[in-house]
Amino acid sequence: MRKQLNKKVAVFKSRMNRKRALIADTFCLTKRRRCAADSVTGESQADIRSSLQYLVTLFSRKLFNDSLPPVVLKHQLYSLHNDKTSVDKQVNELRETGELLMFQLGFDSEAFALVFAEDFRAKVLQGEAGRGTLGTVEKFLAKLIPSCSDLSFNKEKMLKEFLFTDSEITQLVKSGVLTVRDAGSWWLSIPNSGKFIKYFIKGRKAVLGMVKKSKYGEILQTELEGRRTTSQVKFQMKYHIHDIIGAELVECIQTTSGTLLRYVDGNVN
Amino acid sequence: MLLFCLILINMTYPSMTFARVCSNIYFLNDLCRHALLPLQMFFAIERQSGLDDPVRLRRAESTRRVLSLELNHNRDVDRIHGNGINTLDIEVIDGRYMLSGGSDGVIVIYDLENNSKKPQYTCKAICTVGRSSRHVHKFSVETVQWYPHDTGMFVSSSFDKTMKVWDTETLKPAEEFQFDGNVYCHHMSPVARKHSLVAVGTKDPKVQLCDLKSGSRIHILQGHRGEILSVRWSPRYDHILATASTDSRVHIWDVRRASGSLFTLDQHNGDKSKTSSEAVNTAHNGRVNGLCFTADGLHLLTTGTDDRMRLWNSATGENTLVNYGKVVNESRKGLKFTVSRGCSPEFVFVPCGSSVAVYGLHSGELITMLRGHYNNVDCCEFHPDYQELYSGGKDCNILAWVPVLRQPDIEDEETNSKRGGTQAAINPAFEDAWSSDED
Repeated sequence: MRKQLNKKVAVFKSRMNRKRALIADTFCLTKRRRCAADSVTGESQADIRSSLQYLVTLFSRKLFNDSLPPVVLKHQLYSLHNDKTSVDKQVNELRETGELLMFQLGFDSEAFALVFAEDFRAKVLQGEAGRGTLGTVEKFLAKLIPSCSDLSFNKEKMLKEFLFTDSEITQLVKSGVLTVRDAGSWWLSIPNSGKFIKYFIKGRKAVLGMVKKSKYGEILQTELEGRRTTSQVKFQMKYHIHDIIGAELVECIQTTSGTLLRYVDGNVN
Repeated sequence: MLLFCLILINMTYPSMTFARVCSNIYFLNDLCRHALLPLQMFFAIERQSGLDDPVRLRRAESTRRVLSLELNHNRDVDRIHGNGINTLDIEVIDGRYMLSGGSDGVIVIYDLENNSKKPQYTCKAICTVGRSSRHVHKFSVETVQWYPHDTGMFVSSSFDKTMKVWDTETLKPAEEFQFDGNVYCHHMSPVARKHSLVAVGTKDPKVQLCDLKSGSRIHILQGHRGEILSVRWSPRYDHILATASTDSRVHIWDVRRASGSLFTLDQHNGDKSKTSSEAVNTAHNGRVNGLCFTADGLHLLTTGTDDRMRLWNSATGENTLVNYGKVVNESRKGLKFTVSRGCSPEFVFVPCGSSVAVYGLHSGELITMLRGHYNNVDCCEFHPDYQELYSGGKDCNILAWVPVLRQPDIEDEETNSKRGGTQAAINPAFEDAWSSDED
C-alpha cells in the first residue's frame, strides 16, 4: 500500500514538474504583459517630463539664433515609450496643469508640437521686447498659460472670454502668436516657426530618403545615426530618427545587432 | 500513551491518513501555492475546489488560446473561389457552418466541424452558388450574413445593385431587393426578435431599411452626405444602428425615432479647437470604412483611411482616445474586421495589408501580426467557441488560425507508448471507452 502511495506521489510530482516546465506558457506571458503595462501606467509624469527634456536637448537652438523655444513633436515620445495611450494621457495631464503647450503645426493633421510653457513665454517676450505689441502679447500669455489648453480660438472666444478688441487681435497675429485658420478663427502658434517647419519637413524627407535608398530599404539605427548628414538635414540625426519612428514612417525591427529601421511603402511624404 | 497509539495507527494505515489529508482542499491549495505551479494548474485547482468562479478559468484559457494563434498545417479550408474573398460569416447557433462571398459573385458554404478522427482536416465546401447557377450575383458579392436565428436562410448583397435573400435548402433566392447604386454592405440585427429589418448601405447617402417580413423598403435614414461603406446593428439593443460613410462621419441611429440620428461620433470629443474647421465633428480624417461593436455592445470600433482605428463608448459617443498607432488601411470599400469574445483582455483582429494585426482592445498595443496570406486580406471572422480566426483575401485562400495545442502529459505519453505508437494520433475524446468487448 505504501508503494502504491509513493508511486502516486511520484507521478503527481513529475506531472507538477512537467507543468512547471511549461512556464513558457502564455499564461505567464499574459502576466508579464500585464506587469509591463502596469509599469508603464505606473510611470509617473516625471518619466514623460524627462523624455521631453531629453528630446529638448536634441533640438538645435543655434540654428534659429536662439529665437525659437525648443520644440518637440508629440509623436517623438511614442518612439521612447511603448504605450501610446498612456503617453497621450500624461501629455494631456501636463497640459492641464499649464506646464506644457501644444500647437497644431499645419503640415499634418496628426503632428502636434509640444513646448514647455516657461520656455515659450520667455522666448516670446524676448522676441517682443521693444515692440509696441508687447503689452497685448503679455496679456494674452497671462490668459493662456495657466488655464487655457486650446489649440485654436475663434472670434467669439477672443472677444467675449478674453476681452480682446479687434485691433489687439491684429497685433497678436502680427506678433506671430496667432495664425489665421479660417475666417474668424486662429490657431495658436509659435512666432518664427515657419523656418522650423520648412527645415523640419526637408530634413524628414532627406532622412527617409536615406533609409529608402539603403540596400533592401532598411538600415540599422546605429548606422543611420553615424551617417554624414547632407545639407538638407539641419537638425540632429537623432531628432529626425525619433520623429520617423514615432510617426510610423519606418518599421522598427529588433535584431541581434540592434534596431533595424525598414522603410514602409505607401508613405505620403 | 495517547501519542504512542496515534503513531501506531499512523504506521498501520498510512495511506488512509494521507488520503484523508489530501482530500482537504485547503491543504491542496497550499501545496499548489508553495510548489509554484504554473497559473493554468492553479486556475484549474481553484475552479475544482470551488474557490474561484468557473468563468475565470474559461476566460483565462480563452485568452491563452487567442495569444497563441498560428497557422496549423493540419487545418485547411477548401479552395473554391477563383477570385478574391470579400466576406466571411460564421453562423451563431452552432458555429459549424461558414459562408463566404467572393469577387466572382460565388457564394460558398463550408462545414467547419471536424468529424473525422484524424487531426488533419480540410473544411469541406458543402454547397456553392456557383457561376452556373441561374440566380448567382452578376458582380462581386460584398457582404454575406446568415439569418441570425437559424441556418435556413442567408442574405447576400453585391455590386450588381441587388440584395438577395436565399433559402439554404434549395439555394434559390426567396426575395430580391433592387437598389440604385452598388450595395456596399448590409447587416441584420443579431438580437432582434420584434423586427427583421436589414440595414443596407449603398452608394446613395440614404441608409435603407428593408423589412424581411413584409418586403417593404420605405424606411430611410437620412443624414449622411456620402456613400455608406459600413452598417452595423448593436448586439445589445435591437433598435440601435451605426453607419459609416465616405463623408468621414459615423451616425448612431435609433430606428424607432422618426427624426434624424441620435448623435455622430466626434474624434475630438467636442473640442472644436483641435482641428481645421471643415473637419469638425468627424469620426476620422478620411473615409470611415469599418465598423465593429464589441461583443457586449458597450464599445464601437471604427477604422478609417486616415490609418487610424478608434474606440468609442457606444452609449455616449465619446472617443475613448485609445491610441492604436498606424493601422494601415487602403481599402476603397468596406473593411471587415472583428473582435474576440470571451477573453480578458479582448483583442481586435484587423486586416492590414497582407497580414492580420492583433491589438489589445483597451490598451491599444499591437500584440502580433498574423502573416500567411499572399495578397491583401479583406475580411476576418472569429469563432468564439474554439477561439479560431478565419481570414480571407485577394489570394483566394481562406486561412484558419488555430491556437497552438498543449503538450500531452507524461502520464498520457507513458500509457500511449504501452498500447502502441499509432494510438497517439487519435484524440482521446474520440476514443471508444464504453462499448463492451462482447458485442
